[in-house]
Amino acid sequence: MAEWTIVDSGTYDEATQQALERVLLDRVADGAIGPTLRIWYRDRPAVALGRYQAYADEVAADYVASEGISVVRRITGGGAMFVQPERVITYSLYLPADRVTDDIRQSYSDLDRWAIETLQELGLDAFHEPLNDIAHEEGKIGGSAQRRTDDAILHHTTMSYALDIEAMLRVLRVGAETVSETAIESADRRVARITDHTEVSRSAVIDALIDGIRERHGATERKLTDDELKRAQALVDEQFGTDAWTRQL
Amino acid sequence: MSPRASRKIPDGKLVRVDLDVSDRIDRATITGDFFVEPPSARAAFETAIEGHPRTVDRDRLLDALAAVEATPIGFSIDDLADVTREALDG
Repeated sequence: MAEWTIVDSGTYDEATQQALERVLLDRVADGAIGPTLRIWYRDRPAVALGRYQAYADEVAADYVASEGISVVRRITGGGAMFVQPERVITYSLYLPADRVTDDIRQSYSDLDRWAIETLQELGLDAFHEPLNDIAHEEGKIGGSAQRRTDDAILHHTTMSYALDIEAMLRVLRVGAETVSETAIESADRRVARITDHTEVSRSAVIDALIDGIRERHGATERKLTDDELKRAQALVDEQFGTDAWTRQL
Repeated sequence: MSPRASRKIPDGKLVRVDLDVSDRIDRATITGDFFVEPPSARAAFETAIEGHPRTVDRDRLLDALAAVEATPIGFSIDDLADVTREALDG
């Protein structure tokens, strides 16, 4: 019963990825599936916008339009992430609510711990930085976000493996507050990429993350079911692929 | 008048408040990289801010925000009251 399931297959666009978050969170809430890890594979660059962010404040609208970069609002709060295939690592954990502490701040630390330990085993000095970051002394490696329902919790994290920082700065608008914050706190707040600090390949990082869950919990692998994909596609059409959702703020 | 103000909370997130103001707060929009459960609480916070006279004091805003059932993460309703007041003060 305690066994986890790992979904490590399938390449999808950002709207489908974000729709799958809703689908799998709901399936855990319904008791249809147990604790699950999903590794994401994307087919093109995109922006994942935090649920409560204003599109115009975060996204360089003209640039993303000219480059054909899709922007999709998530069901989780947090900040905008620029993502590129092969250059970031995103994972999601979907858990029954009774498996996670009610202390939300603590839960960010708890749920990223395995990933941080995995990075450490690969030779990267990573640590948890409250509230929701995975950090290195030279900057932020990744950020997490959660969505909680009564019965289930989604915790997803994106880490920079070899992100094109220049492209990121063209795509995302860096708010005035953040700029001054950065100026005050010096260069500590820069993005730190896994490739800046280790030689390990992206697939080796992913394999190590999966092994980490296997060792801790026991796990079997599966693919997404046709039903899950069908539900996700319906949600793309109704919600995640629409301007009404993504540009609501 | 459409003032805005924001705050980056130390060890927390950024909250931004945009207002449409006449003699009252006609409309409030709260955005940022914060977390809140349930997600509907964001709009409920906005409603709690709207309708007050532009001279509303911080404590009155705080009372209205406290009536919203919500778990803010990375910010507090005190931050929202402060940022709203800051926007009103221009």
